[in-house]
Amino acid sequence: MPSIRQISATLAAVASLAWIAPLHALAADPQFADVGKQSTLTMLVPATPWLPAFTKLVEQYEAQTGNVVKLDVNPFGGVLDKARNDVRSGGGAYGALFLDTQWTIEMYEGGFVTPFNDVDASFVMPKEVLSYGDSGYWNAQKRWRTASGGKLMGFTVLGNVQVWYYRADVFKAAGLAPPKTWQDVLDACAKIAKPPATYGAVLRAERGNGIRYDWQQWMVQRGGSVAKDPENGDFSVTVNSPANKASLDQFIELGKKCGPPNPGSIGQGDVIQLMSTGKALQAQLVLAAWSNFENPKKSAVVGKLDVVPLPIPAGGVPGGVIGNWNYTIAKGASPEQKKAAIAFAHWFLTYDAQYAYAKAGGIPNRADVLASDLARDPTYRWMRAYAETMKAATQELGYVEGPQVEQILGLRLNQAVIGEMSSGKALNLAAQEIRAVFAKNDRKTGLGPPLPE
Amino acid sequence: MRLRDPHGGGVVSATFKYWSLAPAVLVLAALTVLPTLALLRMSVSTITFAGGRELWAFTPARNFASLWSDPGLAATILNTLLFVVVAVAIEMVAGLALALLVGGLRRGKGLIRTILIVPILVPPVAIGNMFKLMYNYDFGLFNQMLGAVGLPAVSWLGSTSLALWSIVLVDVWHWVPFVFLILFAAVEALPVDVVEAAHVDGANRRQMLLRIKLPLLKPAIVVALLFRAILAFKAFDEVYLLTGGGPGTSSELVSLHLYRVFFEQNQLGYGALLSVLTIVVVLSLLGAGRRFLMARTP
Repeated sequence: MPSIRQISATLAAVASLAWIAPLHALAADPQFADVGKQSTLTMLVPATPWLPAFTKLVEQYEAQTGNVVKLDVNPFGGVLDKARNDVRSGGGAYGALFLDTQWTIEMYEGGFVTPFNDVDASFVMPKEVLSYGDSGYWNAQKRWRTASGGKLMGFTVLGNVQVWYYRADVFKAAGLAPPKTWQDVLDACAKIAKPPATYGAVLRAERGNGIRYDWQQWMVQRGGSVAKDPENGDFSVTVNSPANKASLDQFIELGKKCGPPNPGSIGQGDVIQLMSTGKALQAQLVLAAWSNFENPKKSAVVGKLDVVPLPIPAGGVPGGVIGNWNYTIAKGASPEQKKAAIAFAHWFLTYDAQYAYAKAGGIPNRADVLASDLARDPTYRWMRAYAETMKAATQELGYVEGPQVEQILGLRLNQAVIGEMSSGKALNLAAQEIRAVFAKNDRKTGLGPPLPE
Repeated sequence: MRLRDPHGGGVVSATFKYWSLAPAVLVLAALTVLPTLALLRMSVSTITFAGGRELWAFTPARNFASLWSDPGLAATILNTLLFVVVAVAIEMVAGLALALLVGGLRRGKGLIRTILIVPILVPPVAIGNMFKLMYNYDFGLFNQMLGAVGLPAVSWLGSTSLALWSIVLVDVWHWVPFVFLILFAAVEALPVDVVEAAHVDGANRRQMLLRIKLPLLKPAIVVALLFRAILAFKAFDEVYLLTGGGPGTSSELVSLHLYRVFFEQNQLGYGALLSVLTIVVVLSLLGAGRRFLMARTP
């Protein structure tokens, strides 16, 4: 029978091994950045579907570095309100602010976030990190987000883009190939949908940012735009072009033929609900929703879905609109908080951190992770569609009037969907209103010929 | 100057009285007057940000011009008027009916009152989410009930002709208890001798209601009506959570529009102007009600 001394010695040995094990793990992972001891970092973050993945990664950061990160989690709109309150009052509450891509311009132009190189002159963005349409750069002279002559203001912490979800099991049973064109989607709807038990495809068309963002994916596929060349100062309104009308007409047709009878009130939550309950067989959705469908506690279709890049119209080109979250450093933060924010950025952008992020359910921002062994793992079967979509994805409404333009489009497009006015009239009205917004800000603007109403 | 204390406590200095009030006046000024003045200033300005600082420009004409070029404002005002008139009318009638009904009971008044006020206690966010689930086209309780009796599903929140009325229904559910509470207290306080005298004089139920009870309840009714009209004019939570003002502009109310302009579009000056106009309308409602009350109350 072992003596108390022997038992104590064994326990001590086990304890030392347990202590050594993490060190060994660290040594085996040299690609995680050693960021040293930092002050507590407070981040303002949104309550989004990818937050659990980010939280897991933060916990890993804390365990590895001993540094502390506090997450102030808020609903989508609440993040902007809190960020504005903080920065406009001089700041200090947050070290890092997570900004939706549409909010970055206001914050960059307002001078409310600190360029990374003002905190750490040696900070360089790893070349493997995707640019996401340069949403992390700001060229103050040009008033445009571009790496060309722009300062590094942030990086993408969640690079959302829309993909096409479909029920792989149903498609296989029906002998259908994954859809490549909108016509494929319509054909599949006609073949597999049995409304009201199941809907062929669901689009988000509720008033506001939802329909604006979703329709713009269709818009860019036909080479459409809202303004002619805003990057170079030409804000002539082009939203009421024949190409945009064609894409809006097709958007409406698909919503009516394939979706529920209330398309004008379908929001992102509704689309996710319809897909996860198995009621919808296809949907246009952000990739960040993927984790919902693979969670057995939230989904009745685990393992049954697959994604492809958004289908395109006949004669169209692949394209998408990026809707990313940007990690920025608040200007009013203390020097210690800023330093801690840069340290976290160093760590977060490493290959291994991004790899761990993907494994936790996040969307990695590095090309090498998207091309890693994970891409061949069926669990991460979304990676190929994502990488493919990102090749042609762009930023839209990248000017300070963006939120107003978004509101105008969000209303007029919705009115076209619900049949309150024709697509031509909706786009003509939107064009007039957008031109007025640009003119108010002394932009060089104009209006093309109206569409037939 | 020295004044005689009306309570017989001797002579007090008027200066002392004014100085005693000074802290309260200062607090009031700091919390009410200054923000109102700031709002007024903002309403005639355009505010932008650069270099981490606010830049103010005096642009009253531009802000007022925005009122005419605002595409959704006319529909918003019309919706708000409809919402206020219909929701408050239903709430007043239902609240009064409940107050008279419960007031006429001999037993169980306390229990019924407690049950009836539950909706006021539920947070508006919870109410919004609860009804959003119940109104859901595919999974909602209302459509399941319709389906159970063989009726087709209704797009409660997705139809332009129904969305506003679906919100009115939620508002009625939420606020009838409030009207009930005010009027129930008034019913309980009706002078027994007057009511009994009317009985003795042979007044029937209709006469009792129209000639005796309603005139006596009028001050309480006006107070409840004013409160509800003002609160209904400012309604935000329900419409924000249920429809977001859509589809189209069919359920957009003034408060939601103001929120969009101020927070989503970041137009601080024009948003402030809309706020000032909202305050003016609410104060006008208050003034009209007060005048009505003063004129008709003996």
